[in-house]
Amino acid sequence: MKKIFALILTLAMVLSLAACGGGNSGSGGGAPAGGDANAPADSGSGDGKTYKVAMICDSSISDGGWGMACYNAMVDAAAKYGWETEVSDSIAQSAYYESIVAFCDLGYDLIYAPGNQYTDAILQAAEEYPDIAFALLNGGADTPAKAANGNVTSLLPDAQQVGWIAGILAGLMTQTGKVAFIGGMEIDTTKGKYAGFVESAEYIGQQEGKTVEALDVVYSGDFSASDKGIEFAKAMMDQGADVFFGDASAVDSGARQAIDEFNAAAGSVKVYDIAQPGDFLGQNECIIGSQVTDNSGLVGLCMEAVENGTFGGETIFGTMQNGVLSCGKLSDLVPADVQEKYNSYIAQVMDGTFMQ
Amino acid sequence: MDSAFITNLILASVRMATPLIFLSLAELYSQRAGLVHIGLEGLAAIGSLVGFLVSLITGNPLLGVLAGAAVGILVNMIYAYATINLCAEQIVYGMAINIFAPALAAFIYRVYFGAGSELVQVGLMTTLSGMLGITSDSFLVRLLLDQTPMVYLAYGLVIFTAVYFNKTKSGLNYKAVGEYPKAAATLGINVVGVKYAASVICGALAGIGGAYLTTCYSTTYTDGNVAGRGFIALAAVIFGRWSAGGVLLACLFFGFCDALQIRLQVGSYGIPYQFFQMIPYIATVVVLTVIGMKKAGPKGVGKPYLREQR
Repeated sequence: MKKIFALILTLAMVLSLAACGGGNSGSGGGAPAGGDANAPADSGSGDGKTYKVAMICDSSISDGGWGMACYNAMVDAAAKYGWETEVSDSIAQSAYYESIVAFCDLGYDLIYAPGNQYTDAILQAAEEYPDIAFALLNGGADTPAKAANGNVTSLLPDAQQVGWIAGILAGLMTQTGKVAFIGGMEIDTTKGKYAGFVESAEYIGQQEGKTVEALDVVYSGDFSASDKGIEFAKAMMDQGADVFFGDASAVDSGARQAIDEFNAAAGSVKVYDIAQPGDFLGQNECIIGSQVTDNSGLVGLCMEAVENGTFGGETIFGTMQNGVLSCGKLSDLVPADVQEKYNSYIAQVMDGTFMQ
Repeated sequence: MDSAFITNLILASVRMATPLIFLSLAELYSQRAGLVHIGLEGLAAIGSLVGFLVSLITGNPLLGVLAGAAVGILVNMIYAYATINLCAEQIVYGMAINIFAPALAAFIYRVYFGAGSELVQVGLMTTLSGMLGITSDSFLVRLLLDQTPMVYLAYGLVIFTAVYFNKTKSGLNYKAVGEYPKAAATLGINVVGVKYAASVICGALAGIGGAYLTTCYSTTYTDGNVAGRGFIALAAVIFGRWSAGGVLLACLFFGFCDALQIRLQVGSYGIPYQFFQMIPYIATVVVLTVIGMKKAGPKGVGKPYLREQR
């Protein structure tokens, strides 16, 4: 009896792992699992084939930030082009390659990896699976050239412009002259966003006749630890920071919680946060604006290229000029005259004269 | 380094140490009954999710904590049955819980909220100062009163545990099970019963430790929010020499190290952040090297108890 019970117990656990394991993979042998898979909105491409795209992500797709925005971008693009989707999120770094390969073995046409940190795993898998397309969001500009089979495309929103959009608002809104940035991991795109944020905030300070400095960038080391975001934000507010921007997924959510608590204790909103990559105005009281990246457009271009047989070997840049980057709605906490100035600086970014 | 830095560092240390205290006490109760449990990370993960959900649905964080404790017990019964009745390898089942429970938590979250859903936030438990209507910037008020009831519970449990294990007959019987269960059995102690009681306490405390994260600390739930605390708790029990007081000091030390690295990252200009991120880990290695050399744990820990075996 004990042996039978033990067998049942083991079987139950194995089945549970198969259903939910692999770092919370949504994959279940290619079948929809946990509501993650999405059927195509229409009949698919003209050749009658239903194409499939799979996304891997080390943060949760319900993180209210990066993971969520990137997942929704894939789903939106898939709905437009009639593709099936699958996702494996919250995966550990050690599982990047295995997760990608698992999807390759299941016959997915496009692997979508939203982050610079997946570069090595993508390049390795791309070499072993020459017939599968790999789209690396925030990949390096030179990454496609490193792919032996020419089946990797980098989708590269301009990190500097991302930083500029947030930095302009931060420079205009700061009262203490100190702005802060919280990073998840020290990757090229995060460093690029921080650099753009700092230079634009300081430039705006000069234009507005005030001194604006950015605190040194801090890194939480992962994208899930919202408690680290709370502690970082508290420490940075102790240093006088009053406008925050970040690139750390759920860690940013923690930071916003700490800011909201600070503002509640102060009796008014004195510390602000700028969100990205979706328009998250209203999610927290402290959010005064967002930098929005239309990743769905970029992913859609990849899908189109896969269907046409022209995929790979290129870097698709996303800028304000081509509509991939934009500004979210501004909060009422941003005074009308500041909104006017903000729009004027954004217009300079659009026409290429900002900081010239 | 001014006084504000130090006071804020102490407050942050207390915040970061509290979930560790619950998890370390869970491990202590388990190991004192001879059950080494490396699955605390998993128990805390499911406790965190269920605590979050119940708090969200009922609007009552306290119910969330209770639900976290209940689910911790429930999941830990898998471990208890396998290791106590079936005499399975404790490490293997602990690891199985670590893989199974977080995956189950992520699955439940996804089923309940859907994929790519908006960020869901819940209200946190009110602090004592909030209940009393006290607002003050005084360090002592912030340290002693600006805490949720769960913080007082954690420290109260440390005192209770110290007294229970050292000053009560029941506590000594409990420890005897972890030291030499066969001898304990000859004295009429119900070894299996004590081990099950330990598993219930361990599951409840680990579940509460997880639920603390989403009912008292962070307004959101994210996969992986336990962030290795279950493993740090294991180290804290060894560091604390399997005593309640030692475990408390160990948790405060680990909480302090983590809070310190965060504050130093913010305040340091030019020093690579990796240097600060190493602090908690270096401290752990150094402390365990120094403290962990002498074996002080229960002699019967990790060994299955077979009643008929000579």
